[in-house]
Amino acid sequence: MYLELDRLSKQFDGKYAVRELSLGLEKGGLLCILGSSGCGKTTTLNMIGGFLSPDSGRVLLDGQDITALPPERRPVSTVFQSYGLFPHMSVLQNVTYGLKFRRYSRAEAREKGRRYLELVGLADRENARIGELSGGQQQRVALARALIVEPKLCLLDEPLSNLDAALRVRMRGELKRIQRELGTTMVFVTHDQEEALILADSIAVMSEGELLQLGTAEEVFRHPANDYIASFLGLNDIVWQDDGRVLKVIRHGEKE
Amino acid sequence: MRSAGNIQKNTGKRTSHDVLFSLCENAADRLILLLLLSGVLLFILWPIACIALRSLRGADGGVSFAMFDTVLHQYGESLRNSVFVGLFTAVLTTLLSLSAALCCATARGWRRTLAMLIMLVAMVSPPFVSSLAYIQLYGRRGWITYRLLHLSLNPYNRWGVILMQSLSFVPLNAMFLSGILEKLDEGSLRSARDLGAGGGAILRDIVLPLIRPATLVCLLLSFVRSLADFGTPIIIGGRFSTLAADIYLQVVGYSDLEKSSAMNMFLLVPSILFFFVYRALMRRSDKLTDASRAARGDLGLRLSRCGAMGWGAIALSLVFFVMIVLQYGCVFLSGFLKSTKGVYSFTLQYWRQLWQISASTMLRSIQYALIVSLAGTLFAMLFAYYMDRRRIPGRSLFDCLATLPYMLPGTCFGIGYILAFNHAPLKLTGTAFIVMANMLFKQLPTSTKICTASLALLPEVQERSARDLGAGRLAVLRDVVFPALRPAFLSCFVYNFTSSMTTAGSIIFLIDARRQLAVFKLFDAVYQGDYALASLIASVITVIVLLVEGLAYFIARKGEKRRVS
Repeated sequence: MYLELDRLSKQFDGKYAVRELSLGLEKGGLLCILGSSGCGKTTTLNMIGGFLSPDSGRVLLDGQDITALPPERRPVSTVFQSYGLFPHMSVLQNVTYGLKFRRYSRAEAREKGRRYLELVGLADRENARIGELSGGQQQRVALARALIVEPKLCLLDEPLSNLDAALRVRMRGELKRIQRELGTTMVFVTHDQEEALILADSIAVMSEGELLQLGTAEEVFRHPANDYIASFLGLNDIVWQDDGRVLKVIRHGEKE
Repeated sequence: MRSAGNIQKNTGKRTSHDVLFSLCENAADRLILLLLLSGVLLFILWPIACIALRSLRGADGGVSFAMFDTVLHQYGESLRNSVFVGLFTAVLTTLLSLSAALCCATARGWRRTLAMLIMLVAMVSPPFVSSLAYIQLYGRRGWITYRLLHLSLNPYNRWGVILMQSLSFVPLNAMFLSGILEKLDEGSLRSARDLGAGGGAILRDIVLPLIRPATLVCLLLSFVRSLADFGTPIIIGGRFSTLAADIYLQVVGYSDLEKSSAMNMFLLVPSILFFFVYRALMRRSDKLTDASRAARGDLGLRLSRCGAMGWGAIALSLVFFVMIVLQYGCVFLSGFLKSTKGVYSFTLQYWRQLWQISASTMLRSIQYALIVSLAGTLFAMLFAYYMDRRRIPGRSLFDCLATLPYMLPGTCFGIGYILAFNHAPLKLTGTAFIVMANMLFKQLPTSTKICTASLALLPEVQERSARDLGAGRLAVLRDVVFPALRPAFLSCFVYNFTSSMTTAGSIIFLIDARRQLAVFKLFDAVYQGDYALASLIASVITVIVLLVEGLAYFIARKGEKRRVS
């Protein structure tokens, strides 16, 4: 396994936020951690990113134990839910910020920055200020900024939740395209069942700090491990694509 | 039976009361608005205008710039001194404030508690305290320079003024900056770390640029405060004098109002110019910071891991904290120590002296402060509401006017009041009213800011719902707005009380000799070299303010608990 969580536990005030969580992900794969709010998914993400240290357990990435590394020294980068863009810098400065710590010359950094802006479709906005961008554009900047450092693992914390419905569907496709193009390994946290089913290579369903089921989208959909997952997914039917990926999800109560 | 009857009677009464209430409502609403606006015009704009008008009045009654020539000629040296001290004080204050704010924002556990505690005491203490402590610690017979190091230095010079001004300006600025630091977007800091930035890089690339406008505000404010400060140069300046000190001497000694108006113009004009820069900077700062952080108070940074800059900040703030502790330790102690031939012993002599001389003064100070706090808070709440939620014409002008006293040197504001209210029909000089009005309007900018911030948390839709359900304008105020402003009431009250107890600059010319206030007893005591008594007065003022603050928070917490249960 490329990424491996080994019996991770974290308590807050004597209560388990995450309990004995173990899971693995292959290189180049996209794992979705799915669960309702308070299930421990963001805590898990923070432990992988290094913003929280687990009470017990290990995080292994590419064969290396990174549990004790601080965030700035982990080969992991994050797209935060609120993006965390730097309001006092231009778009290009934001995107190339991480290269400052990776021995890039200024010209190289600009060069690479432009390439990544092109990748996310913002080539014409490199000199704009963050405040001038729309929510969707800010999201792309955050994505480019996280990917440009070529992380071994990219974490995304509900990155689409701040976008409106139509944009969310479009960004979903964009995200998948970019992930495939770069072959980046990603962990994606969401509470949106449809998003998880459409994006993920594998899905980890969590509840109350514990892992309930880990499997491909099809496995989780066709054979939910228990009633909770079945009712949480709340699915009626799924429209499949030819390549075995999910195209559209139909929930209970929706018309086909 | 009896209780049922009571209820019925009460509801009956209430209904008729409400009808009456709504009948008078519109008239009352207009009246309140009129009072608010005319208050601001009369007590802020008019006094300032008076200074400008008087300074331009020539000997023959026409317009003349002759007075400015005289002032430039006669006080050119003082003016240069003011600018010199102002620049150095501004830079030193900003460096110290920035360091102390970073320390407060990044420290955890007991260090944080201790730093906040020191700041709290330093914030509430009366003026002149730093000068008082300076003389006792570093003076000719100072505890440190003379007794400890056996030096005989002459400490009465410009560097003493700069150092002491800076020390006394830091707490306020540091609290301001740490408020801004708390509002920084946690996401930005986290992403920087995530992308590989260490502590030093985060400080340099993210934190400092984001608080740059606030830092500039700090520079400006300290510069203007230094320009306006007359107490420090008078007490420890020795032969070194500044314009503010000369204004004080001019008014108190010669009562030459034309000349002092012209002198004040040299402080007034830059202050008003800076005021507009200040507003622009604050708007920029608000854009860079948003209060969306989930966890407040901790930046997740360790200064000790922020490289040279972090260590610099730690060193500077250590210097600051040690000096402040020495200063207050010295002031608190020297009220109870008597020196006989270099040997100190405990005494209550000054304590008894204090009660004989200044008990009534102290009580009057508290009384004034209480009145100003209540009236000022009410005024600010109403003003904030009418400015924020009513689209009255000329709103931005009034808003600007109400914020103006924030940057106005105290002496200007005081002399403006003398000029404006010295003759019929508004002959108010010598009354207690003018003193309290001056305090209220000098403190209005901050009061209004507190209330506006609190009001921003009240969704406008709540007011609309109340109107929709039949509440009139005043009923909305009573039932929706005031309850929402409850937390603001408390902080506003505490702020006004503290400032009223410790303000000196603007009211020093307005105080009637028969109705002294504690701060001026303190000033007189320091000026006359009665350091033990001065220390005692300063300590008592500090303790009273801390007690009232504690009491206010206690009441608020109790009220909160009751509401929750």
